[in-house]
Amino acid sequence: MTNSPIIAENLVRHFGDVQAVKGINLEVKAGEIFGFLGPNGAGKSTVVRMLTTLLRPTSGTAHVAGFDVVKDADKVRRSIGVALQDAAIDPLMTGAELLSLQAVLYGIPSAMMKKRADELLERVGLTAAASRRVSTYSGGMRRRLDLALSLIHQPTVLFLDEPTTGLDPMSRLTLWEEVRRLNKEGTTVMLTTQYLEEADQLADRIAIIDHGKIVREGKPVDLKASVGAPTLIIKTNIDQAEKAKTVLSTFGDLRPGAEGALGVGLHGGATQVTDVVRKLDEAGVHVQHLEITEPSLDDVFAEATGYRLEGADNAPSAGDNGDEEPAKKKSRRGRK
Amino acid sequence: MIFPLFFSFLGNSSFGKTTSLPGFPKVSSYLQFQLAGTIVQGVLFGSVTGAAALATDIENGFFDRLLASPTSRTGILFGRLAGSVLFGAFSTAVFIFALLPFGADVSAGIRGVITMIISGALISLAVGALMSSVALKTGSSEAVQGTFPLLFILLFFSSAFFPRETMSGIYKTIAGLNPISHLVEGIRALSLDGFTASATARAVLVPLAIAIVALFIANSQLNKRLRSN
Amino acid sequence: MNTATQLSAHISTDTMNHEKNLHTTTMRSAGQLIKRSLINTRRLPSAFIPTLAMPIFNMVSFSGTFFALTKLPGFPTDRSVNWFMPLGLAMGAAFSGVGLGFSLIRDLENGFYDRLRMSPTSRISLIVGPVLATWIRVTLVAIFVFIVGGFLGARPTAGVLSYVCSLVAALGISTIGAGWGLGLAFRFQDMRGAAIMQMSIFLTMFMSTAQVPLNVMTGWLHAVARVNPVTNIFRLSRSGWVNESSAGYMSWSNAYGGLIAIAVLSVLSLLFAVRSLKKIDK
Repeated sequence: MTNSPIIAENLVRHFGDVQAVKGINLEVKAGEIFGFLGPNGAGKSTVVRMLTTLLRPTSGTAHVAGFDVVKDADKVRRSIGVALQDAAIDPLMTGAELLSLQAVLYGIPSAMMKKRADELLERVGLTAAASRRVSTYSGGMRRRLDLALSLIHQPTVLFLDEPTTGLDPMSRLTLWEEVRRLNKEGTTVMLTTQYLEEADQLADRIAIIDHGKIVREGKPVDLKASVGAPTLIIKTNIDQAEKAKTVLSTFGDLRPGAEGALGVGLHGGATQVTDVVRKLDEAGVHVQHLEITEPSLDDVFAEATGYRLEGADNAPSAGDNGDEEPAKKKSRRGRK
Repeated sequence: MIFPLFFSFLGNSSFGKTTSLPGFPKVSSYLQFQLAGTIVQGVLFGSVTGAAALATDIENGFFDRLLASPTSRTGILFGRLAGSVLFGAFSTAVFIFALLPFGADVSAGIRGVITMIISGALISLAVGALMSSVALKTGSSEAVQGTFPLLFILLFFSSAFFPRETMSGIYKTIAGLNPISHLVEGIRALSLDGFTASATARAVLVPLAIAIVALFIANSQLNKRLRSN
Repeated sequence: MNTATQLSAHISTDTMNHEKNLHTTTMRSAGQLIKRSLINTRRLPSAFIPTLAMPIFNMVSFSGTFFALTKLPGFPTDRSVNWFMPLGLAMGAAFSGVGLGFSLIRDLENGFYDRLRMSPTSRISLIVGPVLATWIRVTLVAIFVFIVGGFLGARPTAGVLSYVCSLVAALGISTIGAGWGLGLAFRFQDMRGAAIMQMSIFLTMFMSTAQVPLNVMTGWLHAVARVNPVTNIFRLSRSGWVNESSAGYMSWSNAYGGLIAIAVLSVLSLLFAVRSLKKIDK
């Protein structure tokens, strides 16, 4: 067996009749940042909860840091750091109090506790806020505190479950930087996200999960190359859509476009655009909008799943920073 | 409804022997004495639930939608209170017939039972109107639920569970001033003393008087809410 | 090796050798969880006030309303406060215990508990810590109840032992309630668990000698209360508050039944809690 820090073999999890995870194989190599990409409800969190000993697999096995997640749960727990979705933090406690609670839970000797806590607070830029209650923290501060908490015992493997969901762009960049820094220091990182850009920016390798199954896996560069052809996207009147599709399909595979747009992978490359336009014109299709894009993870996702992730209600948007109010209450149940 | 019934059976077993104490009225069983307390207790707690539902309607905007409809404004409130009246009558009847086989005789006979049901309906109306006023004023179901401990305290410092005559000092005074005592004692007179004029008057007039005042308050709270909208 | 030397060895070697110091780690974790629980009590006192107010209300209203009980032949005390103060305290203790279940449900719902479950600390410390914090709160409640009870006329008949017995009974009840509450919270993970906790504790408490002694009861309640172990705990709790001439007065034979009931029920309910914690799989 290899000594990769995360290995999952045929991992399955049911909730009653619902098959949330339908047999997943994964291998994350030492020193990697591994991106685990998928929409809400695809099974990302369930996989992470199994790998972090919170859930037992229905069948299959998983080894993290060399230990079986069921039989050696305790040893797994000592080796991993986990920052969960929603930064589950007790709002009544201060950052410093939470760090010392976490330190004791992980068996850090009292003599080292203070020093370690100060280092981490410094590292995530929360030294000044350490003695404030968490309820006064912004969303970004909570995520950073959560990260600090997960690092208290210097884990070799770090799980980040949607670390930037709901964060404003600035906070997101800060977090990305920190993840990169940790990775450079030798920490293996497994990161779940529903943001394609995040996976593209951070991950050495990614896996796309959809409906409980992994549908693509590899380096972002290779995955994009596999989609190959650039995508031409046009918009037209709905009543002409069928006619347009017929024309487009003669140039390559149709690809789903966002919100009623039509897409086609141009097998002959971008130079074919003029031909496409001429043919559409001959067919009497009135083109309202036209754009050409090089392959992106978005295209990889669309090609793999048959739908697009961006444009759905979970796309990161710059204006979406309502989470900066403190003391947001959110139930994390029922999201499995 | 389960709770008050449980309480009365518990009380019957616990306090069965107390009925011979000096100051305790002549009864055939503690349950006969307890019947009135059980009725008031059940109606009281039921009214809180009803008013909390009104407050929830206000919270989630359903009340505003009703206001926007062509229904008469006071009709909205009084429709709900009519519900309280029915609830009061119904639960009183349930308590009487549930406890009857266990020795909770009603000395006043069938006329007494009917009077008790009317009394229960009026109490439900009175408390329902008061609680609705709280709902209308605060618009918060939490505030309405918050009156629950208050009712509990009122209930326990009344003669609902034990006769005033057996109490001493300050408790006797408090129970005497407590309106709950008077609501309970009206109904109790019907089950213990028979269908007398004074028992009937107490059982009906006391809750009626409170209901009228309460309706007045509720109506003015409704108007206040309508104006502020 | 005793605990003290283990502790000092731990600090002097400054290692992270978990296996060797598992015992210490468990104790430190429990200690931290006690601290968290008390911090939260101090910062959110509104959650603690009901557990403080309820026993007082219970004691005041019952001893006033049912004052005449003491005049019954064979009633073991002529002071109704003496009789109802232990009841109030027991109610307060029971609700502090199940209150632990309530706050656990909050932790489970907002995900904080995942953090504790993911840590390598022993599962025992996750239970023991909060239970010990409850003991501290119950002791505070007890002191408050004793003071107010004293003002209302409660007089011990066995000196300091009277208070000790009532306190031991209260701590026992809170432990039983805590184990039960935690276990149900782990099983249900939502407020359905809370409703069952409250109902079951309430019913069990009242179907005992909570309100009147056995010799005053009649009918079904007598049969139930006689076998209800809570009756034993009440006997222990009240042994220093009844008349010296009464059968329930402070004696070893009146105490051991309560102590056994507390020990057995505590162990059972805490085992239920630990098992339920290990079974969590949602």
